[in-house]
Amino acid sequence: MVASDLEMDALASDSRKVIQHEGFCILVCNTGGVHYAIENRCTHQDTSLDEGRIRNGFIACPLHGVRFDLKTGQPRGDLTRIPVRTFAVKQTGDRLLVQMHKADPHNEATT
Amino acid sequence: MLKPGEARAPGHTYQEAIAKDASQPPEAFLDYSYEFLGDQDIPYTHYTSHDFAQSEMEHLWPRVWQMACREEHIPEPGDYQVYDIGHLSAIVTRTESMQIKAYVNACMHRGTALKPPGDNGYCQNFRCPFHGWVYSLDGELLELPEDWDFPHVGAGTHSLREILVDTWAGFVFVNFDREAESLTEFLGVLPEHFRDFDIADRTIETHVCKRLPVNWKAAEEAFMEAYHVKETHAGGRDFSEPVTTYDVYPKNVNRFIHTVGSVNPRMAVPPSEQELMRALWGRRGPAEGDCPIVPEGATARDVYAEVIKKSLGAQYDMDFSHYSTAQTLDSIEYFLFPNFFIFPGLSLPMVYRFRPDPKDPDYSFFDLYFLRPTDSAKPQSPPPEPLMLDVQDSYTLAEGLGFLGAVYDQDTDNMAAQTRGFKTCAKGGQTLGNYQEVRIRHLHQRIKEYLEN
Ligand code: FES
Ligand SMILES: [Fe+2]
Repeated sequence: MVASDLEMDALASDSRKVIQHEGFCILVCNTGGVHYAIENRCTHQDTSLDEGRIRNGFIACPLHGVRFDLKTGQPRGDLTRIPVRTFAVKQTGDRLLVQMHKADPHNEATT
Repeated sequence: MLKPGEARAPGHTYQEAIAKDASQPPEAFLDYSYEFLGDQDIPYTHYTSHDFAQSEMEHLWPRVWQMACREEHIPEPGDYQVYDIGHLSAIVTRTESMQIKAYVNACMHRGTALKPPGDNGYCQNFRCPFHGWVYSLDGELLELPEDWDFPHVGAGTHSLREILVDTWAGFVFVNFDREAESLTEFLGVLPEHFRDFDIADRTIETHVCKRLPVNWKAAEEAFMEAYHVKETHAGGRDFSEPVTTYDVYPKNVNRFIHTVGSVNPRMAVPPSEQELMRALWGRRGPAEGDCPIVPEGATARDVYAEVIKKSLGAQYDMDFSHYSTAQTLDSIEYFLFPNFFIFPGLSLPMVYRFRPDPKDPDYSFFDLYFLRPTDSAKPQSPPPEPLMLDVQDSYTLAEGLGFLGAVYDQDTDNMAAQTRGFKTCAKGGQTLGNYQEVRIRHLHQRIKEYLEN
């Protein structure tokens, strides 16, 4: 099954939004002017990531603090070795295209 | 007849050299504080033996102040940094009231480490991933799932075990010994000697952590003397061979300071100031334009220091005119026992931290940081993720080190050879120079005091 891409407005700098789309709960965020989209679910013990602090290109899970690289989905530390799913985001002007059918090219682990 | 330790390299001393600078160096730079600490060999077993390492782990590391992180690693409530030393681990965090606190990194239920080694991150509270016991940022046991089963447990007895924490110059130090002397006492002359520097306002620009194939003490020793510069770094070829002072202060501090861009007093025909200037300029590469002319009566050092202050000032949008020539150019390295080095100078702004590898005394970890000055009125970007290098990796992989990457490779290339030599050498111990290698002796003297106490 091919999921359709998600179209949406670009976010204000340093803000985030949770969107249900095609069966995924997706966290889209703008950090320092760059947009990222990841699945809103910690691969360690299954909690939502959207209240986690974002700094330096990482989001920290609010439950046990696992940090995921927003670009690659890779976790830091040894609480989990499973990367979080990431989606490529294309920005054209004020609009974003979150690509569902293609894994993020940076994210080798989920291809 | 000179007594042992009284001999010095021919020519002027470091203090005499900088007294000729156009700008007044900080008073502390002019101080002499060498002391002869003996000339016995240092046994190789102190580096190679598991028993010795074990003894350090028991008697030294749990009792000394160690730099866990910079304050900018934990700017806001809930930010935390894990500091690991041997089998010990601490969580350093910032509480809701902006206080810095440190805890033993282990759950009070069944001991699970709450955070992974070296971790840096953020959480609202400390929640154990095993059964979900929750501790506040203040360490208090907040939530105990199924508490009907634990009538014998409460916040009074099962809150996180706090350890000592304090800050100096923007560094956060911890001490696992709750009876230990204060950090201020431990630091000795450091705060006084750093009066003229704004280290608290600096921030980490580059952080590289490398595993080294040598015992942590020998790793430190490679950075404690400038005696190796001529051979290891092919120094002295541009006639700016360093003039170095070595000083030891009670109880935990020692230093070297060496000149950059002064005349080598051992040369029969000293170079002109313009020749020295050309040698200094040569380091900067062709993009920098024409080499400045040293005016009659001025020195290459002073002219070059002005150039550096201006170019760094432009790069960071700051004013460095109050820095003296010595503060700007020289290699100023202070050591705080047992594992912390800081260079407060402007053009060489490093910090080192060494830690033993708990699994093997022949290996250690070396955190190398470059700090950059900042304007404290402006917002700062968070410190970078450390670049992790293994034994075989070259420092030149770390872009932030610039030309110094190759220099650190030269320093660390000797290390595996030293480890091998320790084991085959028939002599039984390291022989040290009385003056230039006195800091190494000071290190071992302090360790001995901890192990025998
Ligand atoms: S070990 Fe931490 S909650 Fe059980
Ligand atoms: Fe060196």
